[in-house]
Amino acid sequence: MTRLGEREIRADSIIYFPRGLVGLEDKREFSLLPIREGDSPFLLLQCTTDPGLGLLVADPYSFLDDYDVKIENPERKVLKVENIRQLAVLVTVTIPQDKPEDTTLNLQGPIVINTEAKIGLQVPQTEAGYPTHFHPIGA
Amino acid sequence: MLILTRRPGESLYLGDTIKLKILSVQGKQIKIGLDVPEDMTVYREEVYLKIKEQNRQALEISQQDLLAAAALWQKKEQKK
Repeated sequence: MTRLGEREIRADSIIYFPRGLVGLEDKREFSLLPIREGDSPFLLLQCTTDPGLGLLVADPYSFLDDYDVKIENPERKVLKVENIRQLAVLVTVTIPQDKPEDTTLNLQGPIVINTEAKIGLQVPQTEAGYPTHFHPIGA
Repeated sequence: MLILTRRPGESLYLGDTIKLKILSVQGKQIKIGLDVPEDMTVYREEVYLKIKEQNRQALEISQQDLLAAAALWQKKEQKK
């Protein structure tokens, strides 16, 4: 079971977060599920050990072309980065209750995934000065 | 909370892998130097708390709003 109802999660789709997520340090295994069929930039980062726990995330590059995520050496090490092309970037999404038109992307805490090694890490951006709430819809 | 007094130039060790050195004090600002293991990440508290709050918000989205936002974006895309 997931927050989107019954979904089959393949074992090889599980992404391991050695540090969990900020505030959810004890949750280590997640899987990315599409919200709808087709070409939606929104995904659910579903915890595979806790069915009720799933975060809405989005591909930031569907909304902004020049979002530049800085990954320092300690983080590269955790992610076991060998090649920058292994990395995918997601951001969490905030939707105020009953106001989907006020959806914002949280650009300060991107979630970086090594898609080959299946390792994930949330990488707080300290210096970049990105807004915590970026309005992609109706902007 | 353990409270210690240090002067600029003096250091503290947290365990045997983390060294925290007071570099200078200027008015209300204290400059701290950190020697930490290579794979240890260090974050400012306010950034960390903000991201924690955002994660909580991303968790609490109702399924209805989630589908509505996805639909809204899809509509916008098609208009382009």
